[in-house]
Amino acid sequence: MTVLLEAGAPRTAAPHRRPTLGKHREVLAGLALLAPTLLCVLAVSLYPVVRTFALSLRDTDLAGQQSEYIGLHNFAELLDDATFLGAWLQTVGFTAVSTALETVLGFVIALVIHQSFRGRGLVRAAVLVPWAIPTVVTSKMFGFLFNGDNGVVNYLLVHLHLIGSNVNFVGDPHTALATIVLADVWKTTPFMALLILAGLQTVSPTLLEAAKIDGASAWTTFWRVTLPIVAPALLIAALLRALDAFRIFDLPYVLTGGGPASSTMTLSLYAYQRTFNALQLGYGSAVSTAMFLTEIAIAAGFAVFLVRRFRAMEV
Amino acid sequence: MANSGPGGSRRFSRRSVLRFGTAGLGAVAASRVLAACGSPGAGRAANEIVFASAQFTGSVSLRAYVDAYNASQSKYKVTFRPLPPPSSSTEVHQQLVQSLGRQDGSVDVFTQDVIWIAEFAGAGWAQPLDTMISEAERAEYFPGLVQACTYQGKFTALPLYVDAGMLYYRTDLLSSAGLAVPKTWPDLVAAASRLQQADRVPYGYLWQGKQAEVLVCDLVEMIGSAGGRILSEDGQSVLIDQPAAVSAVEFMADTINRYRVSPGDVLSWDEEPSRTPFTGGRAAFLRNWTYVYNVAQNAQQSQVVGKVGVAPLPAFPGGQSSACLGGYQLGMNSSSTKKDGALDFMRWLSSQTQQLNLARDLSLAPTRQAAYESAELKQTNPFMVSLRDVLIGGTPRPITPKYAQVSLALQSGVSKALSSGDVVGSLRATKAQIEQALT
Repeated sequence: MTVLLEAGAPRTAAPHRRPTLGKHREVLAGLALLAPTLLCVLAVSLYPVVRTFALSLRDTDLAGQQSEYIGLHNFAELLDDATFLGAWLQTVGFTAVSTALETVLGFVIALVIHQSFRGRGLVRAAVLVPWAIPTVVTSKMFGFLFNGDNGVVNYLLVHLHLIGSNVNFVGDPHTALATIVLADVWKTTPFMALLILAGLQTVSPTLLEAAKIDGASAWTTFWRVTLPIVAPALLIAALLRALDAFRIFDLPYVLTGGGPASSTMTLSLYAYQRTFNALQLGYGSAVSTAMFLTEIAIAAGFAVFLVRRFRAMEV
Repeated sequence: MANSGPGGSRRFSRRSVLRFGTAGLGAVAASRVLAACGSPGAGRAANEIVFASAQFTGSVSLRAYVDAYNASQSKYKVTFRPLPPPSSSTEVHQQLVQSLGRQDGSVDVFTQDVIWIAEFAGAGWAQPLDTMISEAERAEYFPGLVQACTYQGKFTALPLYVDAGMLYYRTDLLSSAGLAVPKTWPDLVAAASRLQQADRVPYGYLWQGKQAEVLVCDLVEMIGSAGGRILSEDGQSVLIDQPAAVSAVEFMADTINRYRVSPGDVLSWDEEPSRTPFTGGRAAFLRNWTYVYNVAQNAQQSQVVGKVGVAPLPAFPGGQSSACLGGYQLGMNSSSTKKDGALDFMRWLSSQTQQLNLARDLSLAPTRQAAYESAELKQTNPFMVSLRDVLIGGTPRPITPKYAQVSLALQSGVSKALSSGDVVGSLRATKAQIEQALT
């Protein structure tokens, strides 16, 4: 140690010591200014993730008063847990189907409200109404609409002779998840329409005019001009929606409680039940971690598409 | 003001408002943080008892009882901390666990659902009351309830009120068809089908099959009335795949698919959705809790006022009627620093006088044997007196500190058995899941 210090001493005493110190100070000042923000970000977003991961390696159970380190045992158990595997598949399926439907429908709505027509402002505002309704209210509303005993949907379908007798939409494992997808599509399509509309507004009218002058049909203009320009906005909107849809909790929590036969159990709901109802903080955290990893995979999938898209545009 | 010009003045005032506003907010936040950091007893008077309770509602709220206690003596002062209503029992549980788990004595007395007793006792959160409440005092309560309040030999909960599953039936329909109140499940199916075929009611028998806690209650009753159990008496082995349990669950599915006395909707119904068609006059029989009795007699909510009877649930031939035990008990936080006051309040609220008042004001059935002999209860709630044996003979749900996990497994597994039709396979899988939770 002494040798090192002595060896280092002359170097620090060198003539260009002052500017280094000044630079050092500047860096320190910069760090000091950054620190509050950095601390906030770390405390709010990184700490919960790290803490959840740490908990997922323990068998922490509030009721059992235990908290032992058990390595990856919780994750091994997850692979054996039929409810978890079902919830994982259902959540991925829900995400894929609802995001696809919402993107397509949102695009259609965006194209319509992008046109100029009388009362456009009113229509644009009206389209947003479903999105502004709290999800718990939406859930209750769909519960009444799709009620198997006296719901409006059953009444209409029976009177139109599309079904023979009432269907218990939320009480049948074959229809419960589809009903939840429908409620989600109704609720979130406006949000997608809004994002895609913003993308549509970036399409320069001169390009559309040029296409028109070149004699391109409306169809060709849409496929060859509008769509390629809007594609990145579309992908980003779909990414946001997919990540959000993956966390679906409120609709099944209010509408079905995860049933029947766990057919509407989603990962968020299952993590919640295990963590807060059964008080298995360790196992519940493992479910949350699995969810987190899947979300990263979804984001990565979209990122690959997006990067390709941007590269294609550069060329 | 006139000199500085409108713009300058506005900017100055806006900035100062912001500055003072932020300072004010900061001060509030700081005082909150400081208060939270202080010891839990800080800010509480030495004689203050905190009572955290699910919010039972009726003509009078539980808060009025706390006020009455405070007015009745000057030694202790109880502060009422309302939790969600018992219909949101999962949320009540969560909030209690958060308070009790901190073990800081921030709550002294709490109300607990019968299914949490083992969990709270096992975790050491509920104070054993054996030395505080004598054997003689305990004997004033129904023995079955005292047993339900005892975990591993320790009496940790003082019964407040009792509830149980029971059979509601339409007296007018049964008498006009010359039918007796069914004592067995086949009798119930026969009576229900006959009334349906005669076009007297669209639905025969309504119960609760939603993937929720109530499904476990309906299950306990069915399996119990077939002579089976979910867990063995010592809580060590799982009996859900035994013949009695399998036939009980098969019968539950048969009420929908084979006998068609229950609509498929029961698979997504908990208490209230199953209650409304019955009080709307569209069903002959209903399984539900005590609360339905008063709703059915209320002309604003019911079209069958004066036409509803209550009886013990049927049993399978050769079996005995079984009613799922429900209700809330009082508990003392083991880390409370005011146990004397806590005990005094618990004794007062669970006394004969207050239990009779609770029955009158909130329709909560008493847990004391002598209460059922009183003329007052006969007058305020005659059906409680006539159903005394059902109420006090309730079958407990599995008793284990891991009840929450066992219940989740049962809810999912039995829901699967009922909607898929694969009863044996689903119950076997459920057994494996419960076994894993118990080890």
